[in-house]
Amino acid sequence: MKRQLGAMCLAVAALGTVVVTTANASSGDAPVTLTVGLMQDIDSLNPTAGYLVSAYETWNMQYATLTDKAADDFATEPSLAESWASDDGLTYTYTLREGLKWSDGEPLTADDVAWTINTSRDQEWINHFATTGNLTATAIDDRTVEIVSSVPDPKLPTMDVYILPRHIWEEQAAGDITTYPAEDGVGSGPFTLTSRNAGQDWTMAANPNFWRGKPAVDQVVFRVYTDGSAMVAALKSGEIDFVHDVPAELFDGLSEESGIVTLTGAQGGFSELAMNGMAGGLGDGHPALQDLTVRHAIAQAIDRPQLFDRVAHNQGQLLGTLGVSPDPVWTPEIPADQQLNYDPERAKQSLEDAGYKDTDGDGIREMPDGSQPLKFRYAELNDSDQAAPIRELITGWLKEIGIDTEVSTYDQTQLTDVIASGEYDLFVWGWTPFVDPDPMLSYFTCAQLTTDIESVGYNDANWCSPEYDALYDQQKVELDRAKRIDIVHQMLTLFYTESTYVVLYHDADTQAYRTDRFEGWTRQPKDTGPVLFTNTSPSYWTLTPIAGGAGGDDDSSNTGLIIGLAVGGVALLGLIAFFVARSRKQQDDKE
Amino acid sequence: MRARFVIGKIIGAISTIAFVVVFDFFLFRVVNDDPVNSMFRGRNLTPEQLERLRVKFNLDGTKWEQFVAYVRQLLHGDLGYSLKSSRPVSEVIAEAIWPTLLLVGTSTLLAMIGIFIGYRAGWRRGSSFDATATSVSMVTYAMPEYWIGMVALGVFAAGLGWFPVGGLNDPGSTATGVARLFDQLHHMILPAMVLAIAYIGEYMIVARSAMIDTSREDYLQLARAKGLRDTEVRKRHAQPNALLPVVSLSAINFGFVLSGAIAVESIFSWPGIGQQTQFAISGPDFPMLQGLFLLISAAVILANLVADLLYGYLDPRVAGR
Repeated sequence: MKRQLGAMCLAVAALGTVVVTTANASSGDAPVTLTVGLMQDIDSLNPTAGYLVSAYETWNMQYATLTDKAADDFATEPSLAESWASDDGLTYTYTLREGLKWSDGEPLTADDVAWTINTSRDQEWINHFATTGNLTATAIDDRTVEIVSSVPDPKLPTMDVYILPRHIWEEQAAGDITTYPAEDGVGSGPFTLTSRNAGQDWTMAANPNFWRGKPAVDQVVFRVYTDGSAMVAALKSGEIDFVHDVPAELFDGLSEESGIVTLTGAQGGFSELAMNGMAGGLGDGHPALQDLTVRHAIAQAIDRPQLFDRVAHNQGQLLGTLGVSPDPVWTPEIPADQQLNYDPERAKQSLEDAGYKDTDGDGIREMPDGSQPLKFRYAELNDSDQAAPIRELITGWLKEIGIDTEVSTYDQTQLTDVIASGEYDLFVWGWTPFVDPDPMLSYFTCAQLTTDIESVGYNDANWCSPEYDALYDQQKVELDRAKRIDIVHQMLTLFYTESTYVVLYHDADTQAYRTDRFEGWTRQPKDTGPVLFTNTSPSYWTLTPIAGGAGGDDDSSNTGLIIGLAVGGVALLGLIAFFVARSRKQQDDKE
Repeated sequence: MRARFVIGKIIGAISTIAFVVVFDFFLFRVVNDDPVNSMFRGRNLTPEQLERLRVKFNLDGTKWEQFVAYVRQLLHGDLGYSLKSSRPVSEVIAEAIWPTLLLVGTSTLLAMIGIFIGYRAGWRRGSSFDATATSVSMVTYAMPEYWIGMVALGVFAAGLGWFPVGGLNDPGSTATGVARLFDQLHHMILPAMVLAIAYIGEYMIVARSAMIDTSREDYLQLARAKGLRDTEVRKRHAQPNALLPVVSLSAINFGFVLSGAIAVESIFSWPGIGQQTQFAISGPDFPMLQGLFLLISAAVILANLVADLLYGYLDPRVAGR
């Protein structure tokens, strides 16, 4: 018996030693690792297939673009192209930097650029086509590429599409390119993919051939969490260095924590109450909403500052106009006399004056001809934490001015269908714009109305104006930036005064990072933007480790110890069980 | 055991799976007609690009055409493409199965300790062991696993730092072989313990009441009259007869092993089937959901089949009837 026990103890000790030594061996000269926590797995590593924020962040790291966007204000800056020139605003000649290489050592030439632009146009890649649809590129020599636009395009010379390595992707483009898993890890940006565990994490390693030079961080690990509290706990315990999308209810508590910085980053995204204007699209919207007086009354019934405080906890910005870009330069100042601020008395008065009176005394106004009450169908999303509090506030305020509502809740697909078919009066949803304002502006043109259910347009307010369309066409070809900004301001002011959308507030990304590991976090745009998951995320190459803080896995020996202890503990329990069983047996035998 | 009994059970199982295939397909089509518009809202795509996406995800044509295409795919072992990741559904599921088997399988085995506790408690009904075991089981059985998980995470991972906050591996770890296995075990201890605690009460309570029922049987009196020791009576005569409800509970629970543990996988960011289900529901990514539902249903149906056949073996009266 004694010998057995001795052997077991020895085995446990040996096992413990193995664990501790293996754990120690892996922490030799650990790479400087930035670990980012987020709540969204990457959908696809392939830029012709994915569409989630996590994927854009990864492509931004792996694939450099011809031109970059400045951290401060998104101004166009040299990137793979060191310079460019154009005589007529249609033909641009870009000169690439000298000696560019892909991360696998192959030369990066004008041929890669031309191939990417032309193939993405021909195959209509989802993330490229909006930029390259009218472009034709020709490689003049290794470092010179000529890009011709068939129409004047104010986005040029900005060329912010991911340039893909032809030597990897050409073969894929012969078939259905969107099915390629793209785990090759070859790129030209600051970091390239080294591994991915679906549902868990993916790792990007510093690219020694990045044109700015190898970043100071050796690798970036993205860690997927499915529980927000667990993610915040991991930040506090130092398991991760950065958190994207801190749950709103944990944000305030986290900002009081020492050694952790929290921030809100605006990206132009917003939430709106939309009204069905019935301007030519499908549907059966309430006739009252075609009357500007009613739309203004609704806007004046809503106490936006209170809603912003109670629903968004004042995270974000209280802006009343459409967000068309993360760059605040595009946001106009609405003249004070045109602002539709909270004023329920005025709202009631104007409804009264326009003939919307409560004739039957039930507290709800009727149409001037008495045909039907002002009872609006109100549609909302089921997957948003904000939907319920927004609904409670808005429907309450509308009731105060004599407007009734009937609430329906949908998932995103159903709500898209309801909107496309125009079978709604009001709905609450949101948008997030691109850097260039054109796409967001285009959604409210007459051409985007849904007139055929088989071909759904983006114009979800069923609103359309020839004046807006004319301005839209002007800005689309205006190459003078200052003039274009002025046109866009006019468009947004018009859209605001038409009150087809009541923009409730502009939301913000909630982020947090530890201060003991890295410094050099860069906000984009400056002061108001986030530090990672921005448009181009310059932080990845501006971050530097703090001495003594950002070593590798400095707790791995500790980990080994714990495993050793755990194994020992299990063995101990086993031994106890063994003795208990043995004494029982002896007892039984005595019985 | 009669051949008719076995064949009947197998045919029953196969037709149930066929029903699940049809039902799942139309269920998701009714709930969700065409997810492409909402998924790509604000992506600035042309109608032609959207149409091409519909073709890719088998969302064009009539419902009947879609169904025929789906069944044809299925017969070739192809579950289609995930709307979210554009990857084959079968590939995503294959990746998620191992972590789930590891976690839920281990904890189900651990929880089966409850059977032995239940037997002892039922055998000595009213003893202090019974009182303690029953009240502890009731308490753990009543605690939601989500809550146990959050407490365990807060105390042992975030607080004391003994265990990692979640995941299957250390992020960015390049360890292989034994070191990797130990890393995974280290990550697994907390969620496995939480699940085992949540399940153990169920086994204990079922095993206890089965034992109490059995202990009233006359043949036990006979066995005691023969002069057998108490332990012998319990092991040889009572336990085998108290096995049936326990077998069916275990079989069904093993069927649910594949469905993962959505709440616990979610708290511990465990990359298994439960987490994939959660991702797919939030999409909604219905090729993925169809694949997952099919897998989960097939596992449960198969487990029930095994339980039925085992019943026939353990209790010949069942198969002979």
